Amino acid sequence: MNASASSREQILDRVRAATPEGASSAEEALRSWSGLPRNYVCRGSLSAQSRLELMMERLREYDAEISECPPEELPAAIGAQLNRSARRSLVAPAGLPPEWLLPGFKWKIDGGPENGGLEIGEIERADGVLTACFCGVADSGTIVLHHTAAEGRRVLSLLPDWHLCILRASQVVETLPEYFSRARELPSAPALVTWISGPSATADIEMTRIKGVHGPRFLHVVLVRDQDAQASANEDWKENEENGVDRPGTR
Amino acid sequence: MNAAAAPRSHRRPVLDPALAPPFPVAALPVLRNPQLRKNVAHAIDVIQAKRTRLVEEKVDWQALRTAAAAIRAHALENLGAYLELFEARCTAAGGQVHWAGDAAEAREIVLDLLRREKASEVIKIKTMTSAEIQLNPFLESAGIAVFETDLAEIILQLGDDEPSHIVVPALHVNRSQVREIFARRMGIENLSDNPQALTAAARNYLREKFLRVPVAVGGANFLIAETGAVAVVESEGNGRMCLTLPQTLITLAGIEKVLPRYQDLEVMLQVLARSATGERMNPYTSLWTGVSAGDGPGRFHVILLDNGRSRILRRKTERQTLRCIRCAACMNACPVYRQTGGHAYGSVYPGPIGAILTPQLMQLRHAQSLPYASTLCGACYEVCPVKINIPEVLVDLRAQVTDQERRRIKRLFDPMYLALRIAALVFSRAWLFHAAQRLARMGLGPFTRKDGWIHALPSAGAEWTETRDLRGLPAQTFHAWWANRRARPPREGR
Repeated sequence: MNASASSREQILDRVRAATPEGASSAEEALRSWSGLPRNYVCRGSLSAQSRLELMMERLREYDAEISECPPEELPAAIGAQLNRSARRSLVAPAGLPPEWLLPGFKWKIDGGPENGGLEIGEIERADGVLTACFCGVADSGTIVLHHTAAEGRRVLSLLPDWHLCILRASQVVETLPEYFSRARELPSAPALVTWISGPSATADIEMTRIKGVHGPRFLHVVLVRDQDAQASANEDWKENEENGVDRPGTR
Repeated sequence: MNAAAAPRSHRRPVLDPALAPPFPVAALPVLRNPQLRKNVAHAIDVIQAKRTRLVEEKVDWQALRTAAAAIRAHALENLGAYLELFEARCTAAGGQVHWAGDAAEAREIVLDLLRREKASEVIKIKTMTSAEIQLNPFLESAGIAVFETDLAEIILQLGDDEPSHIVVPALHVNRSQVREIFARRMGIENLSDNPQALTAAARNYLREKFLRVPVAVGGANFLIAETGAVAVVESEGNGRMCLTLPQTLITLAGIEKVLPRYQDLEVMLQVLARSATGERMNPYTSLWTGVSAGDGPGRFHVILLDNGRSRILRRKTERQTLRCIRCAACMNACPVYRQTGGHAYGSVYPGPIGAILTPQLMQLRHAQSLPYASTLCGACYEVCPVKINIPEVLVDLRAQVTDQERRRIKRLFDPMYLALRIAALVFSRAWLFHAAQRLARMGLGPFTRKDGWIHALPSAGAEWTETRDLRGLPAQTFHAWWANRRARPPREGR
């Protein structure tokens, strides 16, 4: 520890001596951070409908399987995906709405007061996993998990070979900066985040893209059309934001 | 085909800059190996084509580059403040921060942590920083079994090979070579050379290790000062495995990896994947903050490594080197790298970024040939997502190398140095210059053929004529012609 403590002082001394123009405190540095150029596209320009279409198109490019449904038909849509992929034994985080856990399938619930955490082996042996998510980014077809109670701890959406993710239309943004602006609305920055863009893949052998190295090989998404006329909510939200009105909660 | 079918008779490339031969010597084995050159060119062509397409579709690409460069430059300018903030926030979240002045200290910290965990095995996420401090051989000599988990790293580890690229480290190895390595080292008979089958073999090989080995060592793409979080960008999911399954996680990160705020990722993640692999986004990016109850390792250590970085900060021109986010776009764009591949650079950091980073990390005591391993064409600067002006740094380093050589006594016996001293003397005195011209015409006369060209010269001159012809000296110099012309009446000009 002593050695490391003195290395700390030495490194910081060297760094400060090499950057005499640098701020003396982090607060001061972060103040000048606000003045950095940010002329890139922050807010998307697509209509709500085109934004969702782009999201689905990008997901399809990653070979993800997608279905759409109105909110009241979500359990049926989940059942259809499970049946189509012949997945019977599933794991799910404790925070999912109970109606998502369809009867007729074998559910193992991870976490929560009654259940506790599943053994790694149980997660590994499951046919698949069902989770919610925090956000979808259409531009890159990215699904963002903050690993809350409905999104599950990280290992839950990692070990099973098949991941079914429920994405609500109101969670879809067009650009990555729009995700970050939603994340800034949270009481504190998320401690755990996973950005998922398609199934696990590698191109290490002759640049040939191979699906499913260690993460799930199959990513399925149910897009829930939870916005009236598919447009209004997000457009209103955008306007509110422009007028400086607090946006509705996104979770 | 033959090269692939035969058992690989390779010498392990030397990537320790202190031991590696100079670039022109190290490049020769690759230049003489058509299979290797084909593998490298193929991989680069694929990535380049994808990158170009995705960069062109991004209407705000230049604005993103400008922002990314500004964020990185700002982070480096205020590095001291941000490192302390990162340390405070990471510690508050349950992480333990260690500081390592050099490679040896970092290795000792890792080993000490492993001993405290009583670990005899460790799984690893691909990290260039670990290769920089040559962690694997050190741990192995201390009796610890090291398992690389990135597919390319497994190919290299099992094939007793070294990385030749920072994003696709095994791009110089083709599928039949991978098949041979896996069949031999994993003991699989009848393994096909289909990439799908090879990938499945790696998955099976690693699965039980992920579930069993209690300690992981990895790197960091970004450290977030504001929150104390660490981000890792990857494709395969081996990173996620290493970040969530073991009881203990050790992250090794260069001090320059800091970003001020979480929001800065909105720029970095957009430019990194596009530049690195030609994807809109890499399959997985993970971010964690210290330790989280019930999710992932219960013990988290991060080692902040200097190893020469604070020295690079000192000069403004050189400082931009540390903006690098290790996307490898510069090597994919480099006409020299395309011919030589990565091993010629004698460092874990190849290509244009390696040509400026390695000599600086080595304090110009080693790798002095690297600043010359470039045509200064500027392709690297053009593609760099954080706008590192690599040619500018290369030229500056060349000047430093020359200054350094000027101070050496040895130079007095160097033929190049002597020749240039004599040239300086001759060029500064008109009568000597004219005498030298007459002498040269007489001397070269016998070698000049009827076509006016010199095709072969003896001794030192042969180094030139071996690869190109030299035009013979004209019968009359311009000076002489001009003098004659003025002596005559100005009739010809009309």
